[in-house]
Amino acid sequence: MSQGRFVAKRVFQGVGVVWGVVSIVFVLRFVTPGSAINAVAPLDADQETRQAIARELGLDQPLHVQYGDYLVSLLQGDMGFSYVRGQEVATLVFSKLPATVELALAATVVAIGLSIPLGVVSATRRNQPVDWLATLFSLGGISTPNFWLGIMLILLLAVQFDIFQTSGRAVAAVEVAAAVVGPAPFVDRLQAWLAHITLPAVALGTYFMALVTRLTRSGMLDELGKPYVRAARAKGLPEVVVRYKHALRNTLIPVITVLGLQLGTLIGGAVITEAVFSWPGLGTLVIDSINLRDWPVLQGSLIVIGTSFVLVNIFVDVVYSALDPRVVND
Amino acid sequence: MLSDRVRRNLASEFRGSILAKLGVVLVLLVVFVAIFAPFVAPHDPTTQSLDNAERPPLGIVQTEQRTTSEMVDGEVQTVTETVTIRPDAAHPLGTDGLGRDMLSRVIYGARTSLIVGVLGTVLAATVGVPVGLIAGYYRGRIDDGLMRFADVSLAFPSLVLAIALIGLWGRASVAVPDPFVAAGFAQEMPETFVLPGTVIVVVGVVNWVWFARIARGEALSLRDQEYVTAARALGADDSRIIAGHVLPNAITPIIVLGTVQVAAIILLESSLSFLGFSGTTLSWGFDISQGRDYVSSGQWWIAGMPGLAIMVAVIGINLIGDWLRDALDPGIEGEGGA
Amino acid sequence: MSDKTDRTVDRRSYLAAAGTAAATALAGCAGDTGGGETTETGTESGADEETATEPAEFGVTVTMGQMDSGLDPQNHAETNTNIIVGKAYEGLMDRDKEGGIVAALATDWERVEPGVARFTLRDGVQFHSGDPLTAEDVAYSIRRIVFNDVGIASPQSTDLGTLEPREGDSPPPVEAGDGEVTVRFDGLNPIVFQLFATNGEILRQSWVEENGEDYINRNTNGTGPFRLSEYDSGNRVVFERNDEYWGDVPEVTETTLNASSESSTRVNRLLADESDIVTNVPPQEVARVNESDLAEISSVPSTRIIFLQMRYDVEPFSSQAFRQALNHAVNVEEIVENVLNGFGSVTNQPTLEQFTGYNPDLDPYPYDPDRAEELVEESGFAGAEITLETPIGRYLKDVEIAQAAAADIDELPNVSCEVEQREFNALVQDVTAETIEDRPHFNLLGWGNAEFDASQTITPLLSSGGDLTMLKNDEIDGLLADAESEADREAREEILQETNARLNELAPWVFMHQQFSVYGTSTDISWEPRADEFIDVDTVSQM
Repeated sequence: MSQGRFVAKRVFQGVGVVWGVVSIVFVLRFVTPGSAINAVAPLDADQETRQAIARELGLDQPLHVQYGDYLVSLLQGDMGFSYVRGQEVATLVFSKLPATVELALAATVVAIGLSIPLGVVSATRRNQPVDWLATLFSLGGISTPNFWLGIMLILLLAVQFDIFQTSGRAVAAVEVAAAVVGPAPFVDRLQAWLAHITLPAVALGTYFMALVTRLTRSGMLDELGKPYVRAARAKGLPEVVVRYKHALRNTLIPVITVLGLQLGTLIGGAVITEAVFSWPGLGTLVIDSINLRDWPVLQGSLIVIGTSFVLVNIFVDVVYSALDPRVVND
Repeated sequence: MLSDRVRRNLASEFRGSILAKLGVVLVLLVVFVAIFAPFVAPHDPTTQSLDNAERPPLGIVQTEQRTTSEMVDGEVQTVTETVTIRPDAAHPLGTDGLGRDMLSRVIYGARTSLIVGVLGTVLAATVGVPVGLIAGYYRGRIDDGLMRFADVSLAFPSLVLAIALIGLWGRASVAVPDPFVAAGFAQEMPETFVLPGTVIVVVGVVNWVWFARIARGEALSLRDQEYVTAARALGADDSRIIAGHVLPNAITPIIVLGTVQVAAIILLESSLSFLGFSGTTLSWGFDISQGRDYVSSGQWWIAGMPGLAIMVAVIGINLIGDWLRDALDPGIEGEGGA
Repeated sequence: MSDKTDRTVDRRSYLAAAGTAAATALAGCAGDTGGGETTETGTESGADEETATEPAEFGVTVTMGQMDSGLDPQNHAETNTNIIVGKAYEGLMDRDKEGGIVAALATDWERVEPGVARFTLRDGVQFHSGDPLTAEDVAYSIRRIVFNDVGIASPQSTDLGTLEPREGDSPPPVEAGDGEVTVRFDGLNPIVFQLFATNGEILRQSWVEENGEDYINRNTNGTGPFRLSEYDSGNRVVFERNDEYWGDVPEVTETTLNASSESSTRVNRLLADESDIVTNVPPQEVARVNESDLAEISSVPSTRIIFLQMRYDVEPFSSQAFRQALNHAVNVEEIVENVLNGFGSVTNQPTLEQFTGYNPDLDPYPYDPDRAEELVEESGFAGAEITLETPIGRYLKDVEIAQAAAADIDELPNVSCEVEQREFNALVQDVTAETIEDRPHFNLLGWGNAEFDASQTITPLLSSGGDLTMLKNDEIDGLLADAESEADREAREEILQETNARLNELAPWVFMHQQFSVYGTSTDISWEPRADEFIDVDTVSQM
């Protein structure tokens, strides 16, 4: 099939998954201890408020009607109301989403940008000091809890050596980009942005980086031992071409598969990283909402997180199919 | 269950690899310490001793400025003095902010991590493997349906889903009597240890998909093998075929995945404890969250020791996982994560 | 559901109010003054005055332990919310740093007859929206706080005194006149002006009635020295200077309030120059802050008392012997010395030493685990299993204190005790639940008393009608009622002392300590901390 049809098929599957996500969250509402009203009403709500909530939730309606209403509101962008915070859930959740996306992207860029070269170098200079270091580092990286790493990074690089900021988010990436107009604000904003995002991105990205390094290394070693590599060298192709155009490309395919699967870890890791660095994103919102028993916001966050994950996976699959046309014919 | 060829591979990989040996040593150490905690730990990990707080580990002499205060005539007066705290051989890894022994807490923390790690993995496997085998064996609509459900499960990152579930269901835990103390040994140790039940169930529920996928993959490739089709022709019952023929041959990648999962679940549990979502306070992650406030004032060991413990345990398990993977089948996609 | 536009940020005029008012007349009138301390201030006459049009940016960032629970100044019971809303809202009177009562939205106040107070309102005050302050607004605000059927059921309903409900032809309890408001109390209300100096933020009636509760929680329309410029719920609140303020316009042009429940994060921000004022610096970090060039420590005894409260109607806490046992079991002195490095002072009654009604003849419960064990046996609840709930990072070392206390209790052979950590706002929701049955059984809490009067702690926390009460005891209620209607100062004080003695014996709390406020402040600014824990950014000036 053509790539276009492949993409369409993946999108269609993605929609199905999103529908599944949304439905599970709907079910969660009834799994909350106490009635479904408790899932929405704050603890100190009086009778009148509770009745109003019951009416709004349509709890007196049959189940399939409730479900239908729920889906319809979601399509209209209405995720309910947080009585605890006194705000629309959708407003709250989408206002925090950019911060998390920014952090996750930064971590991914850091991770992939460093790990693939490291993995390649490690494979091509096997058993030399570089390889040992890389192996050690990547073993440590997948074994270190990222919140602990974050705390240590803060201690070392933000407190002892005042290089980075200890916490918070001052400037959004888009603000940095927008300031490209003039040199002065651009540099200032860029500096502020880097000072705040570097440590959390590193803490979040380390697991990923270690994982990809390991995979790239073992993948490259496999590929470099294969017959077609010997054949290519025999043909007189320059080593660089052999390694990067052929071997690496074939290595990246399984690596990307795993990356896609690991994205969940990255988003989950973002939750903890946000907690350590007081990064005001979805992760912080999720934790705060649980502590405040603000279930509507928790549900809204789950929906947004799940949907984002599906979107990213579709994207990864498209990249995957570009690298390996064989996939399209699945 | 493990063929001779497999056993030989395992042995030869092991012999040839320093890292594999190291992994086994580390894991055996952690397991031993976790099981025999009441004997290995020098003190009761929950006993506080307020005037013995913040003692450094052996080999480090802590000199710090300490400010104390008292109220005189309605005003707060402070006195700052330089205080030297020497380590104490009774507390080789130091003490925390309430004077509890760090070594004992690290040892008992191993119990929590190992129990949650192993039981959680077993639960995930118990749920995931049968589902995957059925999906792969029968294919068709059953397969489609189960795999769609798996996709939806995967859409929620495990930590987020775990936090949400614990938030909704609470942190129920069970106080299990310590068998050694009950039998009359180590009487000064705690009589019970806490089994964080909800956490175990949640981490199991959250990780079943990885096992399902592996099992499904194996079932898909094995269903067309000769011995399977022969058994079917002979009229054997499906479940007996799956259990008797498919499963034993699928076991090796499942074992490899299992080790990776234990490591991942240990990390997941420590994250949950760190955030305060665990049912027990005797946990590495919890100690790190307590120690966080002391890191910048110089008492780095309160957060540092449990962190190192996590690293040791997880590195050991990962090394074993690498050994198993190299020996059993280098082509396995073993990186199921949490 | 609500209109998101903020009507207050349109006007950006950097011209200071023409002729900034000099010190407002401190016209305290005949009747009560009392020696209480503070919460809200209008600008201090002592602070530097900005008269010129220099828009010199002077921003101050404050990092506290918790954020607000919403911006409605009348619908909360937390100091942190008070600190935040207090930037934009004010009451009829105020307090200066030393605790003396000063005029704010009222220029004059007097006791017209026993139980009736009259407040003369200041002319020419405007809300941030530009509308003038009227007597009706003041009357409405008072009613909204006191009466549960006006607007909201406020947790501050007993903070202004008990109002006479209206009957037949009798005059209304709150009456708006021409530039003045008259309030009629049920009983004497002997400390009425202290109450109004600390509580009672004034809102604009039509603004409240036209907007839903959610809008009021995310926006402000007050008369105070700052106006809201940005509200990022749960994360930070930003205020900008109100140049049309009727009093002294602050030197500070913009103030940001954020929070972290991790003390290390707060201290790190201070030392990284990201914050100018941080609260609750833990004792082990005090030296590090003092050593830094960027910051220093300022510490004052707070009006806040820390205690472990117990539900009188739940077993095993229903037994006085059991409650007393817990008081003997916890080694408060050791906790103050070792966990707090002495930053605290042991208590034995709900009233602090400097307050009216403090009973100097009482002693703290001595640490005596044997006696504790005996008392537990006597109570009949041997073998009890209890859980102590504690907030996280709200009070100085709250979690460690709770753990230490619980461990002390757990040491008793016949009681087992564990700690449950709760997020502060969630715990407060439970503690302020409408009925006592929904409140926690055993929890750590702190209570700041900015009126320096015993009644203001005992009434909300230990009387049958109190908004957060865990105790219903007729004798205590009777004593409080007597105090409320006693005109003679000394006699009243004696009644309160007796109440404290009785409470010491009843032991509805495990009495812990008086908190010391330990602030970290940047060396770039000059600011005096206050005992009532309010952070009056409008008095901050540049070094």
